[in-house]
Amino acid sequence: MRLKRKPIVEPLVRVQGRVIIHEERCKGCGFCIEFCPKKVLAASPKFNSKGYHPPYAAKPDECVNCNLCFLVCPEFAIYSIPADEREIRVVFAPSVPATLAEAAGEE
Amino acid sequence: MARIGVFVCHCGENIARTVDVAKVAEFAGKLPNVVYSTHYVYMCSEPGQKLIRDAIAEKNLTGVVVAACSPHLHERTFRNACQMAGLNPYLCEMANIREHCSWVHQDREVATEKAKELVAYIVEKVKRNKPLKPIRLPVTKRALVVGGGIAGIQAALDLADAGIPVTLVEKQPSIGGNMARLSETFPTLDCAQCILTPRMVEVKQHPNIELLTYSEVVEVSGYVGNFKVKILRKPRYIDENLCTGCGDCAAVCPVDVPNEFDRNLAWRKAVYLPFPQAVPQIYTIDAEHCLNTPKMFPLVCERCYEVCAPKAINYDDKPKIVEREVGVIILATGYELYPAEQVREYGYGKHPDIVDSLEFERLLSASGPTGGEVHRPSDGKVPKEVVFIQCVGSRDPANGVPYCSKICCMYTAKHALLYKRKVPDGRAYVFYMDIRAGGKGYEEFIRRVMEEERVLYIRGRVAKVIPENGKLLVEGVDTLSGQRIEIAADMVVLAMAMVANSNELVQKLRVATDEYGFAQEAHPKLRPVETLTSGVLVAGVVQGPKDIPETVAQASGAAAKALTLLTKDVLEREPTIAQVNEQTCVGCFECQRVCPYGAIERKEIRDRQGNLIKIVAHVNEGICEGCGACVVACRNKSMDLAGFAEEQIFAELAAVI
Repeated sequence: MRLKRKPIVEPLVRVQGRVIIHEERCKGCGFCIEFCPKKVLAASPKFNSKGYHPPYAAKPDECVNCNLCFLVCPEFAIYSIPADEREIRVVFAPSVPATLAEAAGEE
Repeated sequence: MARIGVFVCHCGENIARTVDVAKVAEFAGKLPNVVYSTHYVYMCSEPGQKLIRDAIAEKNLTGVVVAACSPHLHERTFRNACQMAGLNPYLCEMANIREHCSWVHQDREVATEKAKELVAYIVEKVKRNKPLKPIRLPVTKRALVVGGGIAGIQAALDLADAGIPVTLVEKQPSIGGNMARLSETFPTLDCAQCILTPRMVEVKQHPNIELLTYSEVVEVSGYVGNFKVKILRKPRYIDENLCTGCGDCAAVCPVDVPNEFDRNLAWRKAVYLPFPQAVPQIYTIDAEHCLNTPKMFPLVCERCYEVCAPKAINYDDKPKIVEREVGVIILATGYELYPAEQVREYGYGKHPDIVDSLEFERLLSASGPTGGEVHRPSDGKVPKEVVFIQCVGSRDPANGVPYCSKICCMYTAKHALLYKRKVPDGRAYVFYMDIRAGGKGYEEFIRRVMEEERVLYIRGRVAKVIPENGKLLVEGVDTLSGQRIEIAADMVVLAMAMVANSNELVQKLRVATDEYGFAQEAHPKLRPVETLTSGVLVAGVVQGPKDIPETVAQASGAAAKALTLLTKDVLEREPTIAQVNEQTCVGCFECQRVCPYGAIERKEIRDRQGNLIKIVAHVNEGICEGCGACVVACRNKSMDLAGFAEEQIFAELAAVI
């Protein structure tokens, strides 16, 4: 087995991605960890409020923004964005009105 | 009634010194059926051959025995002489009284007695020889060249220029081989790329050359003139006809991989050209590193597909097998460096500034990772003290290979010279065992490096290289002055041995190799480009270490030998092959099981109405090499070897015992 020499020059310009994880949505299936082609993710030792171990980016520099984690996640709890972009907080529609009166704008 | 002539040769002094040739000739003349015997100083010379021709005519000989050297050397000479005199050449045999007798004995009397016996048993054999006709085979006028380095390129171009269609198979995505990696070439300091890349382009553009890169020969069957070759085309995942080589795919590819072409000193993408001047200019997706690994399923990333304007990217590409029929095969599979980490005392792998010679070539090359400036791998500084160690792995049976790799003296001198050019205030030391600069302009080049460039040559071996305080402590001995030497170097360059490229192809072709894995040529002096497998030729380092001029010369030589085969309409082969007695053969096919060449086929015997009577063995005349394994294996003696029939062998044995 040949020893692998490390390149002496800087890596070529590369797409750098960032993973965004909605920990509360995760139910710990581990698909993203399993399928990540660059093996960026690992199971976090901490729990979310449902008692699952959400993933965390163990090697954040390796992410190339392929978004496969998003595609495999059954809970839409993870996705990736280009590293230089700001995280877009997805604002969901305000929760469904509790009462008809609320909906009508009456108090 | 056989009429045999016996001709005893003195071989100058070689035989006559230990064998009394006159007595042997006299003895032979008294043997039954021998009607003529004589001796002569050089039987292979023209007067000697004339002696044989005249005797055949005068004495009406039906068989000729020449007691001389090995049949390997001169059997053809004497058989041709017999043919000229009108005698079937296969009625002439040689008794080897040189290699088997005079060279290995000192006692004249004993040697003479042995020579008599050797002659006697060949006479017994020749009495039973039958006239044979050479086998005539058709020739496929196409050549296969395996390996796209400088040897393969040269051989392919020479053949193609002569009008022969050539298939050139290269394992890597680009042709060019190791020579494309080199910075400059000794002793003229021509830039390697400048002289190689035009040849590569010529290969691509030549109408007679079919270039199959990223492909491997997986199976070879058939025989000289009629090989059938299966070539595996590895999936590139890029359509070769559509790719324009624009490089848009590599620009967006998110995966960085150390580039093997740069000996891992620089990066490439997972979709890549090994180097900018690669031929063909077709990108390749490295399935091992692409995000879509391992089999392009599931598709994770398709950025290259999105940007590819001609839509050349095809993730569904599959390995393909293509078949070609060729007349000759030229092996030019080249070399690799002996793994430097196996020479442990020099610490390769323990410290990044200890580099092997091809890595240093990349550091010196204008197309290399540093753009031709010498920077050491650890911190990028310009090394001021560089130690070159020659014969690492070479001439070292304990740690490497016992042979001399032949080019290290020269390329180390070139390394030192180029280093001094690029770093004029730097100091270069060369540790050497001997300087072997046999070649045109080579000795002068070494002198120039020693004297004009002020490179310090130290005769002696380096005991150890120890990384210490950011320096590399080189401990050695100057054997000329007897002093111990310690040099605190910034960088150490190991001139590694060349070893044969480990490949199974050589075995598949049944080409004999020497103990180091280099292909064995048919004769070290007189047949240097042929192998013992007829129709398979060698060019370049696959046969043994050599420099570029020798490689190119051998490649042209191999092309010329290939032409002598391919320009014939029919080939003639030795008829000494196995023959089946179809009447007695019972079709057990034990012979098929033991045949090392796969020459035994099944033949159906039918009556006039077309009903199958039986299936018997049949010998393919093109493949059979006449080894005789089937003769031994045959249960009811239905196999026999033409020219070496059992009757003849037993007669020989009876004569000796």
